[in-house]
Amino acid sequence: MTPFPPSLPGSPGFIRLDGVSKSHGRGAGRVAIFSNLSLEIPRGDFVAIMGPSGSGKSTLLNILAGLDPVDAGRVAIDGCDLSAMGEDARAAWRTTTLGIIFQFYNLMPMLTAAENVELPLLLRPLSGRERRERVATVLDLVGLGGWARHHPREMSGGQRQRVGIARAIVTDPALLLCDEPTGDLDRRSAGEALDILGRLNRELGKTIVMVTHDPAAARSARHVLHLDKGAFSPAGPEVLS
Amino acid sequence: MTLLRLIGRNLWRKPARTLLMMLSVAIAFLVHGLGQGFLAGSQGSGGAEAGRLVVQSRNGRGQPLPHADAARVAAMPEVAAVAASARIRGYVGTERTVAVASAVDPNAMAAVMAGDLDLTPALLAQLDGARDRVLVGRSLMEAQGWRAGQRIALTPFQIARADGAPWSFEIAGVFEGARPEIDTHFMIARYDYVNAARAHGRDSIDGLMVVPHPGVPPAALAARIDALFASSPAPTRTQSEKAFLDALIREIADFRLVVTLVTSASFAAILMIVANTMAFAVRERSFEIGVLKVLGFPARLIVGLVLCETLFIFVTGGGIGLALARVAALLAGPELGLALPPPVVARAFLLLIALALLAGLVPAGFALRMTTANALRFR
Ligand SMILES: Nc1ncnc2c1ncn2[C@@H]1O[C@H](COP(=O)(O)OP(=O)(O)O)[C@@H](O)[C@H]1O
Ligand SMILES: [Mg+2]
Repeated sequence: MTPFPPSLPGSPGFIRLDGVSKSHGRGAGRVAIFSNLSLEIPRGDFVAIMGPSGSGKSTLLNILAGLDPVDAGRVAIDGCDLSAMGEDARAAWRTTTLGIIFQFYNLMPMLTAAENVELPLLLRPLSGRERRERVATVLDLVGLGGWARHHPREMSGGQRQRVGIARAIVTDPALLLCDEPTGDLDRRSAGEALDILGRLNRELGKTIVMVTHDPAAARSARHVLHLDKGAFSPAGPEVLS
Repeated sequence: MTLLRLIGRNLWRKPARTLLMMLSVAIAFLVHGLGQGFLAGSQGSGGAEAGRLVVQSRNGRGQPLPHADAARVAAMPEVAAVAASARIRGYVGTERTVAVASAVDPNAMAAVMAGDLDLTPALLAQLDGARDRVLVGRSLMEAQGWRAGQRIALTPFQIARADGAPWSFEIAGVFEGARPEIDTHFMIARYDYVNAARAHGRDSIDGLMVVPHPGVPPAALAARIDALFASSPAPTRTQSEKAFLDALIREIADFRLVVTLVTSASFAAILMIVANTMAFAVRERSFEIGVLKVLGFPARLIVGLVLCETLFIFVTGGGIGLALARVAALLAGPELGLALPPPVVARAFLLLIALALLAGLVPAGFALRMTTANALRFR
């Protein structure tokens, strides 16, 4: 484990934050979340980010996803300078580079598991057949081969999260961002989801940034960063034990 | 799955809501279709031939013109055909039903109405046997339940008989309109008979119908006709047949205005219903729209998806409404005189698209603002 410094070993930086400042709200209600934050994560890493509520973990993921612009500084992922891109350009970039996994899955209730997974592929120039093949492949990968035609309401939380993972990886992105992916799951389902994330990292070389409260989840990462009061610090032994 | 399927899934997640929106659009376009069918049909001036002119006295409709005017107009080089007509309005049968007999030279009438009324030589020959024979239009014939060969009485409001009795005619045959919007709610009597038997105003007429030669601008001919009689004791006023009929109909009620008001009101109502319901539906889905945004769907695609939903509701509902209006026009028969010719339907469809885009603007605006300002965040 190499929890600190924020420039993680391995080169060159796949994810780079340089002097990033970010605040929420405006006027008197303005709250500074980060000022002059820097971070470098190499390709193929699996990083867990821990920290108290309100420390800006989700804000950080939003910035990495290009959903939230920064006030100052530079955000670059795989050589793409997000801070220099417009909203539509960032949307297009997300469809190719990024997979996102949410705590509450965020599946479309009226679509089947397969259709939910297929959704991001609708933006790609693929034939229906190619799309269906890719969907079948990733559903098999997360162990839901037999659940393609089921709706989210017919599935357990663990299964829904695996559909969420399948949707995140169906475009074969280089980077996965996960916000509390096990936060809503029981032990066993959490273990299964973390297993899949571990395999995606080891076998397919996906770079993963995962926000979590769960020390067990953090242990499946290669590195752990602790975010507190807008700055990274070494993860204390209490979180990892 | 395709984007189309995605739109469908969103539309049918609350089927009752979607069906109700379609129903309200269908009703509005049924009303619109019936209103337009009425204006385009024989109750309106839709059957009027734009090139045909109507010549009347400048002193007012119903004031007589000399019958000799017909020959002077017929002699003009721009004129292809002329028919002089004396109109007898009166009661037929019970004192509740009003009918009109146009006393004309049947051959001149056939020439003027060629293409609109099927006044064939065989049919016209039926009038030869006796001077008091008439040809009755299909619409009037069916409304009265008359049979060919039957004798009918017409108690006139004007053009009384010299002997004071009602006019008595024998039905020699039935004429048809070439298209549904052609008015056939009248009968054709012989001018020579009516003129000889009338009490007053012999050799006078109520007006002329004039057909210009092809290529002659009707407005220019109208001016020339009026100039011809400008200094005569009975100056004329010449209008297109359409303008004449519009003025005639407006004397009863301004149907165009009434129809426009009624359909505008129903359009305004569905516009508000659909725009509001769709906006509600989109707001309900703000979370899902956020997910699409996070997955990389560009804002314009999301807006397009929402617009397509409204478009589908309008095209389906409006299509059903117009189809019903068309069925009604076919079933109603000639008395109602509804007509929905293709140009009217095409115009209604353009209106449909315009209203759909208008109604879609509100929910699309919601979707757009949602995707830029409140895009889904990690929780
Ligand atoms: N859109 C926003 N507007 C205003 N304040 C926000 C917004 N999003 C987050 N915050 C505030 O920023 C701080 C960090 O939030 P967040 O990144 O969600 O923290 P974490 O995920 O670590 O709990 C919190 O105090 C939160 O209330
Ligand atoms: Mg959070």
